[in-house]
Amino acid sequence: MTDHGVLSFLLTTLEPVNFAACFIGALIGTLIGVLPGLGPAAAMAMVIPLTLKLGPTAGLIMLAGIYYGSMYGGSTTSILVNVPGEPASVVTTLDGYAMARKGRAGAALAISAIGSFVAGTFSVIALQFFAPLLARSALAFGPAEYFVLTVLGVVLLSNLTGKSRSRSLILMMIGLILSTVGMDPIGGLERFSFGIEAAQGGISFIAITTGLFGVAEVLTVLAAQEKPIEVLPVKFRELYPSRKEMKRSVGPIARGSVLGFLIGLLPGPAATMASFASYGLERSISKHKEDFGKGAIEGVAGPESANNAAAGGAMIPLLSLGLPFTPATAVLLGGMLLHGITPGPFLLRDRPDVFWGVIGSFYLGNMMLLILNLPLVGVFAKIVRIPNQYLMPIILVLCAIGAYGDNGALFDVWVMLGAGVLGYVMRKFDYEPAPLVVGLVLGPVMERSFRQALIISQGDASGLWASPLCLAMWGIALLSVILPMIFRRSILTTPKKGI
Amino acid sequence: MTTRKEIASNLAVILFGAVFLSYTTRYPLDTWESPGPAVFPLILGSVLTILGVGQLVQALWKSTRKDHREKQQNGARSVRESLFRNRGEGKALRMIAVFILYLLMMQWIGFFVSTFLFAIISSRLTETKDWGSPIALSAGITLFCYLLFEVWLKLSFPRGVLF
Repeated sequence: MTDHGVLSFLLTTLEPVNFAACFIGALIGTLIGVLPGLGPAAAMAMVIPLTLKLGPTAGLIMLAGIYYGSMYGGSTTSILVNVPGEPASVVTTLDGYAMARKGRAGAALAISAIGSFVAGTFSVIALQFFAPLLARSALAFGPAEYFVLTVLGVVLLSNLTGKSRSRSLILMMIGLILSTVGMDPIGGLERFSFGIEAAQGGISFIAITTGLFGVAEVLTVLAAQEKPIEVLPVKFRELYPSRKEMKRSVGPIARGSVLGFLIGLLPGPAATMASFASYGLERSISKHKEDFGKGAIEGVAGPESANNAAAGGAMIPLLSLGLPFTPATAVLLGGMLLHGITPGPFLLRDRPDVFWGVIGSFYLGNMMLLILNLPLVGVFAKIVRIPNQYLMPIILVLCAIGAYGDNGALFDVWVMLGAGVLGYVMRKFDYEPAPLVVGLVLGPVMERSFRQALIISQGDASGLWASPLCLAMWGIALLSVILPMIFRRSILTTPKKGI
Repeated sequence: MTTRKEIASNLAVILFGAVFLSYTTRYPLDTWESPGPAVFPLILGSVLTILGVGQLVQALWKSTRKDHREKQQNGARSVRESLFRNRGEGKALRMIAVFILYLLMMQWIGFFVSTFLFAIISSRLTETKDWGSPIALSAGITLFCYLLFEVWLKLSFPRGVLF
């Protein structure tokens, strides 16, 4: 494709409907990011019926806007309220809130917005170069390679959720099991649908996501009986960081952008991992180590840049391989499929308008978010104070509509309620729901590629590790299981000093 | 998570895995050259059950190492603590019950009327003391949903005897 062609597709973002979709998506994303608990995955799932009217390009631009907008919004409440709107903004509370207590809330918010903008733009440029490259190499992928890639995703994700690996694997297995409900992907035989007509097409991914993340959140908030939140004030004139603060932020923003983008390529909660990794990196190399935890600007600039860059990086496996490794990109995949778009190596060839339109919207969305987030930060911060009696019914009704709108079946709303109760119980038992969602999405790809690989190799299981690419991926999967065990053992056996 | 909770959750996982495994036998396995629809679910069910058993063994190992008396004291304390700590659970359970009622009613009185009633009741279940604001909120939500999803997006919702 010529550069002129790419440019014309990128410019489709500026068409009024796409422009409006980008703005609304970024705005919804910021609001969702501000509200603690309700993450981008649930918000995107709720909005999917709305996007069907807009068409694939505008619809996906809106969904993508919600995704990266939430990364911006999450930092606002971390800094002003000490309540992270998003898991990826948890680490920002450490120094962001400390800065706010010192009267530097404006500077922290401004640096966070600037860092997010720079990192977001960096990740889009990298995405623009790497996604087509990866998509071209993915054309060499056969069923065996796809199967091993999904296994690798399962193994890596179970390591990266930050909690027990066995529990993550259990949830991943439950997600994979749920994905087997409905038509068998090879022979078309109906499985595990118990005669329910609405279940023959499979368990609705949207219903599961809205239930696990939306309904479960409402139930948790209801049970928690939290106290009203105090929001620290911030004035527009306080938004300017000092020259010293700007100088101290340049390095962390640059490092956070690169680190975040690279972590975004890995399966798992990339944005959260990236923000923690960036915080650790900045603290270890900073000349002002003593300031960390007490209001170090590096502790805001680095993580906030990293989580935005990771959001862009996570789009690469989705757009080029058709494999989502985070709940939010999994919902985006669900949205794409509902719009009749199949992400993967052929997306760039078959629907360049959608591919480049979505990428172009990232540029525009990042600019919109910078403009939105700086002057309106006080307004966004006040949203966190909306009483539950208004918020809860709205979220529940929108979740129900999101689940119902997927297939127009009431059965899906029952599934959503079941998933909501399951998600609520899982939170009580300290289980993280993200692996279940990813398992549900990876399931059909994994099963189809597994069975196709066996058919091609005529039942010879060695076909699953015959190619060098398969071998390399098996090797990485094996190492990612063995290495943490070795590290843990070496830590346990090392005698502690001073005891 | 407490050991008791761990044991309970792992038993639930094993039970689910076992039931799922037994159900997979209803579908053909076929051959390795052409694997049937039961192969993949069989592998998944087996892995899940093994993981559940592994976790259960770990949890039991942990629980046997604890002093029995200490466990009794903690147990007595934890009942009181958990009753106090979980006093908000009632609200969540009531919300689930109201949601079930909402879904059942939807088929008889239609989506919009049941949504109107559900929004009022769910708002009252939170912190509202009066009736005015839940009714106003509910009317707003219902009208918004009707205009956006039914009129503009042409989504067709369940109709009932009223609307």
